[in-house]
Amino acid sequence: MSHYFYDMIPAEELAQLHYLPTVPEYLSWIVSKWAGRPALSDTVNTYTYAQMGSRIARRRTLLKEAGLQPGDHVAIFDKNSIDALESFLAVTSAGMVAIQLPAQLPAPAVIGCCAKFRAKALIVRDEFRPGVEGAPCPLISASALGEAETPAAVVDKESPAAIFFTGGTTGAPKGAVLPHRALMRGTFNGCFAPGSQLSGHVTIGFLPLSHVFGLICGTLSKLMCGALWYSAEDMKATIGKLPVIRPTVLVLVPGLVEVLVGLTKMYGPQFLGGRLNTIISGAANVPAKLIAEFKNFGIQVLAGYGMTEGANLTAGNAESLERPTSVGKVYPEQEVKLVNGEIWFRGDNVFSGYYGDPEQTAATLTEDGWLKTGDLGRFDEDGYLYIVGRIKNIIVLPSGENVSPESIEEAFYQCPALRDCLVKEVEEDGKPVLAIEILPRAEAFEGKTPEEIEAFFKKLAEDINATLPTTHRVSKVIVRKEDFKRTGSLKVSRKDN
Amino acid sequence: MTQEEIYAKLQEILKTVKPKLDPARISMDAALTTDLGIDSLSMLLLSLAIEHEFGFQFQTQEPFKTVREVVDYIEKAI
Repeated sequence: MSHYFYDMIPAEELAQLHYLPTVPEYLSWIVSKWAGRPALSDTVNTYTYAQMGSRIARRRTLLKEAGLQPGDHVAIFDKNSIDALESFLAVTSAGMVAIQLPAQLPAPAVIGCCAKFRAKALIVRDEFRPGVEGAPCPLISASALGEAETPAAVVDKESPAAIFFTGGTTGAPKGAVLPHRALMRGTFNGCFAPGSQLSGHVTIGFLPLSHVFGLICGTLSKLMCGALWYSAEDMKATIGKLPVIRPTVLVLVPGLVEVLVGLTKMYGPQFLGGRLNTIISGAANVPAKLIAEFKNFGIQVLAGYGMTEGANLTAGNAESLERPTSVGKVYPEQEVKLVNGEIWFRGDNVFSGYYGDPEQTAATLTEDGWLKTGDLGRFDEDGYLYIVGRIKNIIVLPSGENVSPESIEEAFYQCPALRDCLVKEVEEDGKPVLAIEILPRAEAFEGKTPEEIEAFFKKLAEDINATLPTTHRVSKVIVRKEDFKRTGSLKVSRKDN
Repeated sequence: MTQEEIYAKLQEILKTVKPKLDPARISMDAALTTDLGIDSLSMLLLSLAIEHEFGFQFQTQEPFKTVREVVDYIEKAI
């Protein structure tokens, strides 16, 4: 069994890892294989894999006592805590469907989601409880454990395991349903990174468990490898504990990678605990500068590509420095093709549809199982995948030409004095033109006047325009004085700016 | 610590968080975002550095607007 990903880890470790198609099989395997190892910690309490298995079995008892049956929907509303993770594993190993609610969701929206997704129960963090008393289903305290243990259910790999919120590949928020086989294929894929993976890594759940990247790659994959997972209920407080936790691997978004680079520069690698060797970053492009800066500290930054509908990772790049603009190679057991430039995937990592939305499901998933990603891509001669842009972001010019704003922004991102930028269509003298909004790096323009900064970026635009097809040239440069509006994962929001 | 001492130490931290910032711009009434170019990411970094250097933890989610507001908060917290 040889493959780009399989070859990353030692052969004796590869021989131990197997794709387990359902959560009950996965949970039973990790609890028995890693029984005596520490599994979960909040720096005060630490539980071994065996203890975690027992606590999850006691949580299943609470679900049974609440009268819940396999197939029932159970919403979970909590921060990134041990309770939240164990609740997820209890619900899914009992054959029920977990609805992963983001912790920052306002209480009325939580109540609305319980109704919309027909939740039969809401597992809620005690401090969130007062706001959601009006939910249309019984509440279960996330901190409660049952007395006795209840065994896991036997589930079919095609049955739904969890519902995640997603902007989807085409717009408004929806609930993406991941069957067990998809959740577990994503979990298996997330086990591969260069170097030993089973030797007892230490990681921190910085990214939300309500997002596939945080839950699957950041958590379930790490547990499959026998790692110790620290909860992160408060992002800033947990960063402050890095010298104590001493993680060896972290799964992050680029914004957080940048914060950690800053801390490392100020206080040295010891501030991160001194033994961090791998950062897996996704959800947005990772600037090559950050990858190079971490390499100087002996830390490899790996970029990935994926989406909720594909159970997180569908491609990964272990050579971020050599090919910084590629998202890497496609994971095994998947078919991939380009249809009119759009990336399509097929495999058991593909979701089963949007809950209660057959129209959007049909627009995203073909009858024969292909996931239409909405991303425009290309492959190089060595099989590395590059994301060129998003179909829904395409700007159609009055001439009928299609322009992908990302392809223009990528050229501007090469300038180190630019922090972020956004290409959009604006009206100038009554006709639509391409404009670029630029957020300068303040430290690059110390002592410069606004006019000088604007002149710098106008010159940059002229230089870049000269390298672009005439249809792709920007004719207006807007220099921002304030930050862009950003999404929850700190990306520049294309919708709100 | 007096306000002046806190202010002096905060200036040092700001210089570390934003190495190319002209120290003359760090006045008590300087706005963190528009005058000093502190965005949401550098604010996370700045607050971690302040906690590390002054040895306390912020207990507020309210955003600070000016250097003076940060100095006042630190004075009460330590």
